Amino acid sequence: MTDMLGVADALSIVKAGGVLLGVGLVFVVILNIANAKLKVEVDPTVEAILNILPGANCGGCGLAGCGAYAEAVAKDHGLMGKCGPGGEATVREIAAILGIEAAASAPVRAIVHCAAKDSDKINSARYFGIETCGEAQMVAGAIGCPYGCLGFGDCRKACEFDAIDIVEGLTTINYHNCVGCGACVKACPRQLIELLPFSEDPMLVISCSSLDKAKEVRSYCKVGCVGCGVCAKKAPTTFQMQQNLAVIDYANYGSMSERAAAVEKCPRAMMVYVGKEAVKAVPAAAEEATDYNRNG
Amino acid sequence: MEIFGNLIVVFVSIAVVNNLVLTKFLGICPYIGVSRKVDMAFGMGCAVTFVITISGAATWLINNEVLERLGMGYLKYIAFIMVIASMVQLVEMYVRKFFPSLYESFGIFLPLITTNCAILGTCLFIDLWGYGFLEALVASFGGGLGFTLVICMMGGIRENLEWADVPKAMRGAGITLITAGILTLAFMGFSGMIKG
Repeated sequence: MTDMLGVADALSIVKAGGVLLGVGLVFVVILNIANAKLKVEVDPTVEAILNILPGANCGGCGLAGCGAYAEAVAKDHGLMGKCGPGGEATVREIAAILGIEAAASAPVRAIVHCAAKDSDKINSARYFGIETCGEAQMVAGAIGCPYGCLGFGDCRKACEFDAIDIVEGLTTINYHNCVGCGACVKACPRQLIELLPFSEDPMLVISCSSLDKAKEVRSYCKVGCVGCGVCAKKAPTTFQMQQNLAVIDYANYGSMSERAAAVEKCPRAMMVYVGKEAVKAVPAAAEEATDYNRNG
Repeated sequence: MEIFGNLIVVFVSIAVVNNLVLTKFLGICPYIGVSRKVDMAFGMGCAVTFVITISGAATWLINNEVLERLGMGYLKYIAFIMVIASMVQLVEMYVRKFFPSLYESFGIFLPLITTNCAILGTCLFIDLWGYGFLEALVASFGGGLGFTLVICMMGGIRENLEWADVPKAMRGAGITLITAGILTLAFMGFSGMIKG
């Protein structure tokens, strides 16, 4: 009895499988015919561009993904330099496909507007909460500075390219790995990270975001900008003061020698050269040595 | 003539009185997701109507001519899903070829018609109600038209809602769901018009 049932079961399983297979085959035939009849001609240049793109789908170009970018760049050649991960090599290849000369374009990289390591931060309280920047940001006084890097590494988690390290409580970009996709920019709850076209390497960066006056800045940070304005006096075309914070006008970046005086005279250690060729020659002048900070 | 009258009853029943979206609560996902603009909603409705009609007819044939005869009615869920998936592929190819802009604006929602429960639901209801082939054809077409009608109404309302001063807490999904609820209440007015 059990044997007979077993045979019947096996038979019905085969039958069921056969029926479904048959139905499926009918649709395979129909879809194949339809595919041949309704084939859409994709622009070969779009496909060629898509093939040389990195395929990271990071969205750094501002479009939905590499596919969307390939289509957009085939139509609008001005978008050529937007691919961060691809860099200049990709720009050249896209230009070759489109049959045009690529203008030299500066690669976009992330910069951090904070230079305070753990030892530079003067905290009035200790934060024992959940260890993400997003949570710490919700707590007033998680670190002393209301502007600076919280150091819990939300940006590092967001980075797909292993280009961010948290060194002594400070986000540090590894420029050998950074492709400028901008994921960290979105991740930072304090908007400390910015994308900057690196017209040369290294680039000078104001590593501070504090808009407070000198007294407050001194109360919570050993390196932050006190708004003295000496840089804007020494190199007025490059440096400007905006709400107690030195800002570099990258359109008038000037030469390194023009900036040297300003960098040298800065009483704080927040003018930093960053990039692959980053030099350590940043004069962290002793704070007490100058008296510029009253001017700001 | 009696057949004709019967078909009209079947059509009105599934299109309005037993509307798939508002009384059976099937296909809510595109109903909320693609009803931001009337023209998009209409395109979605057309695509669903097309898929639902062909699927309804094809599944009726497969169910009654193949599965029931072989005594394998238990396979109908799998077979129906296969039919629907293939039909969606077909529609996707067609839309991509002839209406590229519509294809762009649908985005992910076009392949997602595959998982639109209104379609599988209609096919199964047709089987449940024991419709003949002609009735099945009319019912599935009517179901699609009913879906189109409702999603276009929703699109129209939502287009006008853009200009309304909605309380801050209700903006977006909140007011959309409330709109859907009121629309459902309105359609309850049809209930009882047709028995069964």
